Amino acid sequence: MTTPATTQSESTLPAMPKRVMGLYDRPFWDHIQARKLSLQCCAKCNTFQYPPGPICSACTSEDMNWTELSGKATIISWVVFARTYLPAYPAPYNVITVKLDEGPIFVSNLEGPEPTGTWIGAKVKLVYAEMAEGQLLPRFKLA
Amino acid sequence: MAIKRAAAVVGIGQTDWLGDYEKTKKGERPADSYGYGARAFVNALSDAGIDRSEIDGLIVGPTTAYERMGEILGLETRWGGQADAVQAMMQAVMAIETGMAKVVALVYGNNQRSGGTQYGGPDASGAASFLSYVYHAPWGLTSQGALYAMMLRAYMHERGFTERDMGQVAVAQRGWSSMNPDAVMQEKVTIDDYLASRYVCEPLHLLDYCLINDGGVALIVAEASIAKKMSKHPVFIEALGRSDLNKGATILEPRLTNFYLPAQQQCAEQVFNMAGIGPKDIDVAQIYDSFSVHVPLALEGYGYCPVGEVAKFMAEQGIGPGGKLPVNTSGGHLSDSYMQGWNHQIESVKQVRGTAGKRQVENCRFVHYSSDVAGKCSSIIYGR
Repeated sequence: MTTPATTQSESTLPAMPKRVMGLYDRPFWDHIQARKLSLQCCAKCNTFQYPPGPICSACTSEDMNWTELSGKATIISWVVFARTYLPAYPAPYNVITVKLDEGPIFVSNLEGPEPTGTWIGAKVKLVYAEMAEGQLLPRFKLA
Repeated sequence: MAIKRAAAVVGIGQTDWLGDYEKTKKGERPADSYGYGARAFVNALSDAGIDRSEIDGLIVGPTTAYERMGEILGLETRWGGQADAVQAMMQAVMAIETGMAKVVALVYGNNQRSGGTQYGGPDASGAASFLSYVYHAPWGLTSQGALYAMMLRAYMHERGFTERDMGQVAVAQRGWSSMNPDAVMQEKVTIDDYLASRYVCEPLHLLDYCLINDGGVALIVAEASIAKKMSKHPVFIEALGRSDLNKGATILEPRLTNFYLPAQQQCAEQVFNMAGIGPKDIDVAQIYDSFSVHVPLALEGYGYCPVGEVAKFMAEQGIGPGGKLPVNTSGGHLSDSYMQGWNHQIESVKQVRGTAGKRQVENCRFVHYSSDVAGKCSSIIYGR
């Protein structure tokens, strides 16, 4: 399931900040490690759900599948931190919220070139950033 | 409505947060959370002019344990619990209305400055209650301020609201706190000071953030007939309202798509209907302001101005001294003290009593308190 990190760059890669890793979160990160963005999707009512949980919050069914998404999205808001809170994120750095093409909202970062003017409405696509110990983190780039 | 005027505040107390701010800056630790709560409680008892033995209920703030606070204050009680500021008042009124208690002490103490409470980073405070505070840590999003910055950015885009519009809140509240000798920050600021102040998380500036300081607040709430005998100036709880948004909360959906508006509108309908008055009858608004952005959202959500017109309302009608709707007259969390909603309660009482000194709003009959932390919208109306 894991992708080995290259030994040369390992020491320079930032450590992933502590993740919430409840019973239902594990499959999300396992899929990411396999370079798939998958979210829980209800087998009964077809509603995507994030964060994952014990039942479908739309219809209360426990019959949930993990379904891969396209990784295409649109930015709906963004911030730029001027203060450092986490070693992996020295300021300044951005955090974006995107609406995935399939519907769910997702928090991430924008890598590479930034839009001029407002970021809201910009189309983005999924990329995978490598963190320490070979852990992958889903991020986005301008499409 | 049975809750309307079922209970009244008969005593208020606070600690010396300006003095303690100076001490904590020098590395001193004037008290712990229990100590601040205890000092405020003693002051509230003295203000009420009653003996401890008359208290039969205790609700403590989220930063202290109920049992230990009860032990420290020497209270045997028939009703108790732990709650944030607005829920503490609601629970006290409900306990009184249902006959479970007659005189309830609400006690809050917080050593967040001297104790080094972290509101961002890997150990962000509040995560046990709100998953959104830590869930997005892998992408560097942890502080509560950043969640409000994200909300403000979307709101600015949607409504054409600008940073200059946002700055009106910080300027107005400093105007108020310049007349509050207890406030931690009393120096007036201008819109240019605001715009020149550094970002913490863009688009939020330093002056949009609450203070982090130590202190305590206490209130004594009594059943209405007891309150009338006990106090020469009881301040009645005229009405309560509540409406919570939970769907999509962790992924910030209520913050980014509707800015809490449906919950605030529903809460407004309940609280104003129960009180039998409307926004036009409110003399002072007290709005929970961990970040300045709460203020425009509440002004629109509670119907003080039409949705989309809050920038114009703040500029033309005014929310500072001399304004048509005085908002956060103590200076609020931005400038008075960050007592997590508790200082707004005692400021409400002072304004209705007419004892707010230089910042007293003339002939203040009704004060509306609004809290919308993480889309959990609650309201209290205080009256004579």
